[in-house]
Amino acid sequence: MLIETFKHTMAAHCESGTLTALLNHKGLNISEPMIFGMGSGLYFGYLRHTPNLNFPMFILRTKSGKLRKKVAKRIGIKFKSEKYKNPEKAEKELDSLLEKGIPVAVQVDLYYMEYIPEWERVHANIHFITIVGKEDDYYIVSDSYFPKLAKLHKDNLRKARFAKGYLAPKGFMYYIDSVPESFDQKNIIRKAIKETINNMIGVQPPFIGVRGMRMFGKKVVEWPKITRDIDHLSHEVMKINIFLEDQGTGGGGFRFLYATFLRQAAELFQSPELESMSKKMMEIGDGWRNISYFAAKIGKNRDLGPEKLKELGALIVGRADAEEAFYKELKTVIHKI
Amino acid sequence: MKEKDAIIDYEPHQLMLYVEKEDGTFGPIITGSYLSKNYIDDYFEKMEKLRLSLLNQLKDNLISPIEYYRIIHDFNVFELSRRTEISVFKVKKHLKVKGFQKAKVSDLLKYAEVFDIPVSNLFQVIIVEGRDSEIKDGSTDTNIYKVRQSKTQNQNLVITKFELNK
Repeated sequence: MLIETFKHTMAAHCESGTLTALLNHKGLNISEPMIFGMGSGLYFGYLRHTPNLNFPMFILRTKSGKLRKKVAKRIGIKFKSEKYKNPEKAEKELDSLLEKGIPVAVQVDLYYMEYIPEWERVHANIHFITIVGKEDDYYIVSDSYFPKLAKLHKDNLRKARFAKGYLAPKGFMYYIDSVPESFDQKNIIRKAIKETINNMIGVQPPFIGVRGMRMFGKKVVEWPKITRDIDHLSHEVMKINIFLEDQGTGGGGFRFLYATFLRQAAELFQSPELESMSKKMMEIGDGWRNISYFAAKIGKNRDLGPEKLKELGALIVGRADAEEAFYKELKTVIHKI
Repeated sequence: MKEKDAIIDYEPHQLMLYVEKEDGTFGPIITGSYLSKNYIDDYFEKMEKLRLSLLNQLKDNLISPIEYYRIIHDFNVFELSRRTEISVFKVKKHLKVKGFQKAKVSDLLKYAEVFDIPVSNLFQVIIVEGRDSEIKDGSTDTNIYKVRQSKTQNQNLVITKFELNK
């Protein structure tokens, strides 16, 4: 059984992509960048003292689930969502929704997605996929990171939905109950951009926003002290590229996705100033992409002496300066429109 | 990013990027992963080196199998404790050789579930001649044999089968 009307498409990011696909299926024509921007998804944080993490890491978007909740509240989308303690009950209710022709988004541990190449499969409890059908023991899955519909064995889906650990999914699933006929898109965009500006240059803890970027640039130089050996250091440095490009960001650490949102907003507001800001954000993304290429290169060559790491740190601090100037300018633009 | 700069020909790992198209508009393209295309060999090499180094430590009785798989899966102690629902105190004990000797079978089953391996693999490494790497449920040997490990209704029993790779 397959929900034929569901249109599978790849997306830049799993959470915004899943939500966009479900909204489109429900008849609301909206793009992924618009969802990302209206949910104030852009973020930055450098996390180094979290007990859940094996190594310091940086985040480029808001916490998992936040985007969906914000978009729902701002637009007025009604969700039905559920968490489960009992895997059998979770599976039964999922099957019953599929039988009714309702595509369902579920939160999973990416590791168990058997259709994804092995090297991409890491333990991450915050991946979202949409279940759109079932054939015998296999679910038909629409995964934003995979070019076509995939099959996932029911045992693996169960393991993925009930993996324990940090941000455990606990069988979480949701589907869309209703979408509003109309909403004040311009007002939502203004509000969402203001929130993003506040997240990046407002009063925040020192590891968040542009201050977080500066902290990252400063601390990356100290990474040799906390790694096992040169290969481990190389692996962690190359993960900068994964976080910025490969782990579902749309490139440049979500900056290209956000630039596209600003461009779509500029068209809506008929604002040349906002259009110019979208171009500037694209250039900021290019800078992040250069960092990711640089990190991959020095990681591969094991060229990880203090001077190279300082150079990497300086590039990151450079992004902080560029983004600080950008959000200050965006603040004045958004007050005008 | 300009569209022409974003195109990477690498089919095994596709992803979506947002780019500036030739007509100046911004939009999505599907392309290959730059990292996977250019650096995947290095990743495999590093992982294999790490695995062999850990395997040697395991053979020399310097680390426990739990520590071996913990590092392979990149879990810290707290995350492993949460995933297995075994206390941090006990996990720390099981990471050491002496502590592992005293671990209960019920705890080992929890570890095996989280590491996605048959429980028997905490006590053995299967190496097929000409292919110096361990195997996992369903994986295939690139040479002559297909090695398949299957769980049974008895959670303590695993069937390891060597089949001719036809």
